[in-house]
Amino acid sequence: MGIMGLALAWETKILPAVQRERRVEPFREQIAAPDKAAEAGRVEDAALAAACRCGDVHAYERLYSLHGARMKNLARNILGSPTDAEDAVQETFLKVQRGIASFRGQSSFVTWTFRILVNTCYDARRSRLRKKEVAADDEQQRNDAAPRPEPHAPVAHPALRLALERALAKLTRHQRDVFLLYEVEGFHHAEISAMLEISEAASKNTLFQAKKNLRQMLEPPRASNVAGAR
Amino acid sequence: MNVTCKDRDRIFENGTEADWAALEAHAATCMPCAEELRAWKSLSLAAAELRDYTESPALWRRIHHALTEQAAASQQRRERWSWRFLFANLSLSWQTAVATAFVVVLMISAGWLLRPTKQPPIQQGSLLKSKALIEVEHAESAYVQAIDKLAVEAKPQLENSATPLMSNYREKLLVLDSAIDDLRAQTGQNPSNAHLRYQLLAMYQEKQRTLQDILEEKR
Repeated sequence: MGIMGLALAWETKILPAVQRERRVEPFREQIAAPDKAAEAGRVEDAALAAACRCGDVHAYERLYSLHGARMKNLARNILGSPTDAEDAVQETFLKVQRGIASFRGQSSFVTWTFRILVNTCYDARRSRLRKKEVAADDEQQRNDAAPRPEPHAPVAHPALRLALERALAKLTRHQRDVFLLYEVEGFHHAEISAMLEISEAASKNTLFQAKKNLRQMLEPPRASNVAGAR
Repeated sequence: MNVTCKDRDRIFENGTEADWAALEAHAATCMPCAEELRAWKSLSLAAAELRDYTESPALWRRIHHALTEQAAASQQRRERWSWRFLFANLSLSWQTAVATAFVVVLMISAGWLLRPTKQPPIQQGSLLKSKALIEVEHAESAYVQAIDKLAVEAKPQLENSATPLMSNYREKLLVLDSAIDDLRAQTGQNPSNAHLRYQLLAMYQEKQRTLQDILEEKR
């Protein structure tokens, strides 16, 4: 096996980033420990929920300014399209407004909002799949429905991003969700377990399985295998 | 803390801070573990490539518009069914009139529900109504008096004659009087029962016929 074992040349390129933002699991759990910042976050979360319940549009604006970018990013990673992601975020805000009266505060307001977002994204995916199935009867329509390259913001390693997106698409729904929420969006397992309605242990195990699978998919063919194939 | 290669997956899945530090120390001397550790961390770093937090102010304008529209639609729905909304369109005099009418209807309804309930008339044909009962009792009383007069007339014949026929008549009258007493006791407990009255009448008629027969014998 090579130094990294991954099939892409990005391994060497991201080394400076490793040094710049070293982020290993145990340190994240430290962040989760209760402190004044966490307490302040909880207070703000409750205040935000209360203001949204009162129908204050500024509260929704605050929610968007705090979490809108992350919501859109998560939706884009699940749906694969910035346009669909924006629709999903908008639909999520409307669902939050419709359902805020039923929010009892069992989880944090933000966690509840992200749970709605994830469900909305999967509803949109199902709806899109159904549309594609109907369109598949018509050859012309199938050509129209073929995936088009969606515009992305310029990234440092487009090949890596593409490879990761393809590999993520092959994961199970839960593995993809947990990987995106933990590794990309930076949520803790406690928050993820509330969002996906699973236990914390299940969240950790799912992340482990997801990373194992991703690693296998991104690993280059071993020299012995290549020789055997020849 | 000492860890081995076997502990690696457990630490990747659910390791504590101490576990991770021990794994790092172990990886310094174990090449396979060092590779696995780097690959594991690299995946987390590669995930950063999936972050695109570019601002999209147009999206908030869209959301704001949609939220406002939804709130207005919801408010309209609520108002459509609101009693307050219905009353707001009426003048004060009309409001008073509607409220008064409502109170009147409420009181009439309450009066109707709380009115004293009479026993429903008994429809059974075998029971006599009160007025008919009085008439029957009058007629019966007159009839009994008439039969008593007959009995007074027949008494000397019954007491003075020692023929077997008269003995039979005496016994028959005793049985009839006993039956009449029983029936009168029963009708006293249940005066509206026409069936008992008919039986009593039949007994009186039989007594009347018996007394007539006795008087005929005398002649």
